[in-house]
Amino acid sequence: MTAAAWICLLLPLGSAALITLLGTAVSRRTAGWIATLSCGGAFAAAVVSFVSMLGRSPEDRSELSTAYSWLAAGNFKVGLSILTDPLSMLMMLIVTGVGSLIVAYSLGYMDGDDEERRYFAYMSLFVFSMLMLVQGGNLLLLLVGWGLVGLSSYLLIGFHHERPSAVAAAKKAFVMNAFGDATMAVAFFVLIQKTGSLEFATVFSKAGGLSSTVLALVALGLLGGAVAKSAQLPLQTWLPDAMEGPTPVSALIHAATMVTAGVYLIVRTHPLFELTPHVQEVAAGLGTATLLMAGLIALVQNDIKRVIAYSTMSQIGYMFLGAGIGAYANAMFLLMAHAFFKALLFLGAGIVIHALHGEQDIRRMGGLRRLMPRTWWAMLVGGLALAGMPPLSGFFAKDSILAAALAREDWYGDVLFGVGVAGAFLTGLYTFRMLFVVFGGEQSAYVREHPPHAGDDRLVDWSMGLTVGVLAVLAVLGGWIQFADRWTAVTNFLEPVARSVVEASGTQETVASICAVLLGLTGIGVAWWVYSARRSPAPRSWAVLEHKFYFDELYNGLFYWPAVAWSRILDWTVEGPLVNGSIAGVATATRRTGGLFRALQTGLVRLYAFAVAAGLAVLVLVFIAVR
Amino acid sequence: MLGPDTAAYLIVSAFLFATGALGVLIRRSPLIVLLSLEIMLNGANLALIAFSRHFANGDGQIFALAVMAVAASEVVVGLGLIVAMARKKLELDVDKLSSLRG
Repeated sequence: MTAAAWICLLLPLGSAALITLLGTAVSRRTAGWIATLSCGGAFAAAVVSFVSMLGRSPEDRSELSTAYSWLAAGNFKVGLSILTDPLSMLMMLIVTGVGSLIVAYSLGYMDGDDEERRYFAYMSLFVFSMLMLVQGGNLLLLLVGWGLVGLSSYLLIGFHHERPSAVAAAKKAFVMNAFGDATMAVAFFVLIQKTGSLEFATVFSKAGGLSSTVLALVALGLLGGAVAKSAQLPLQTWLPDAMEGPTPVSALIHAATMVTAGVYLIVRTHPLFELTPHVQEVAAGLGTATLLMAGLIALVQNDIKRVIAYSTMSQIGYMFLGAGIGAYANAMFLLMAHAFFKALLFLGAGIVIHALHGEQDIRRMGGLRRLMPRTWWAMLVGGLALAGMPPLSGFFAKDSILAAALAREDWYGDVLFGVGVAGAFLTGLYTFRMLFVVFGGEQSAYVREHPPHAGDDRLVDWSMGLTVGVLAVLAVLGGWIQFADRWTAVTNFLEPVARSVVEASGTQETVASICAVLLGLTGIGVAWWVYSARRSPAPRSWAVLEHKFYFDELYNGLFYWPAVAWSRILDWTVEGPLVNGSIAGVATATRRTGGLFRALQTGLVRLYAFAVAAGLAVLVLVFIAVR
Repeated sequence: MLGPDTAAYLIVSAFLFATGALGVLIRRSPLIVLLSLEIMLNGANLALIAFSRHFANGDGQIFALAVMAVAASEVVVGLGLIVAMARKKLELDVDKLSSLRG
């Protein structure tokens, strides 16, 4: 079990190193194959590990394997170790499974790009970073993976480094993530100070003895990291800008790696959160607020990738809601289902963008259903799953989270449930607005002028078509492994690691499902009425939504402009007179002193000889005198 | 010990050295300056050999041989420079060659 887990962790790292070291010695396509095969190999290793885990009794499924003692300072020791337990196993399967499909898709999507090798090296690094995050055997290694994920996302979002907007988006993502890294680091410092360890087991067992202030500080620090990485309020603004990266990168960030890390973190450190119920409620509240806000913004976005990006933000909001109320298994289940249908939607959107020569504005698309029937069906499956329609995966996963909110049976749970159900309506509306505008109706002028080109390369078609097909099947079937209240495979599997706090009754499940599906259907119906049948004119979009609730403007005003102004002031007061002045002063002083001694250099050889002779004579005199 | 005693040699040696040094300091022709330098070196050599005899120790003689070898190479370089200067029709006057003045 553990050996396979190590192989799973190290294969993508090996591939990143190999592609980097081989450089131009291999062709671009070979580099792509190296990355694809290594990620596929990692998935195979994860499956082997999973099967051997299933062979054990549920109490015996956690295993910590330490390669060597990495860091030792006094009593504080951290080993380079990986933890293989049901939670990390589920994440490993998702990351490597969906990740390898996305990398395989990139074989076709990135074909012919100038810097394919760099791209595939980064992709492998990204998968490795996420595996490091989920497999890390202690909090420090988790933070290592956390930071590496931030780095890889920076590298990939800024992949088109010749585009200033891509570079700006990469920096934005990195800075916002660094903020989360910092709060997490603070939480870890407090933990080291108070418990003397970063091992999961030690920290969790000693946490009960800590004061509530310390615990709240630690939980808030962890929540800060989770919020930044998962693009939840108030650190959500980097995610839509991250669409500057190539489409498979967006798929990887949204489906397999990165944004799901926050949910994983909360579930992994749930003993800490359970000791500070208020912080956990804040997490649920933030998730709920985000799912509503992202759903509203998604209604007015015109970039196909941004619509999907906001839908991710919204879905992660559901996961935070689930993790925040203690329905860990349901949150992880939605995480898995979301990985399938979100990767499907992104990769489908990638096919559309690829076919339309890089066009991403849905206002210029239209009527693609006849031209690209297979893509239409795939996207339809993804959209239905996203909107939570039975019997697709989103239905099983999302409704059980809403049911868990009901199961709290207090006013807070009811509010969360209400907003979550409203989010289901928005999800149906914005998803099908996008689908109807892109695929339905008459062909737009742009589509007529730029007809989707038929693939002339079989590998390109295969890599893109096959992976989307596999994901479509997964988006349909992926939810069937758990039908809450009847058949709870995921909950049972995760129980040894994260026992859910709330259990919804059968009635609550039914109520939640009926509400969510009805409202989702209403959303789809409204979208059909307005955007497909065009019975009523599309409503004018509101400025507040266009501006994404003015978060960018707010942060510019709060952080960017004060920082710029402060730098200007420092430039005038410190940099100019003090720093530049002192350097200029040193130079001037040196030059003046040099000028004084210049007169000695007469250029007359005989004078120099005389100076030598006279100096010698003086030395001789001194020598004699001293004797 | 045959011949005059060490003091006499040292007097001659000091005289040679002083003559050479004076030549270096007051003459302006590079050829003569070079020649005076050689005289200084020979004065030093004489002192080395005299002391070598005085203390019955061969080291000084070896030194003198080394100095001769160095002097010979130095002359080659120096004369080469002077010939090059003459070829370039530069004035053979060390005071005129003062382009390194600061």
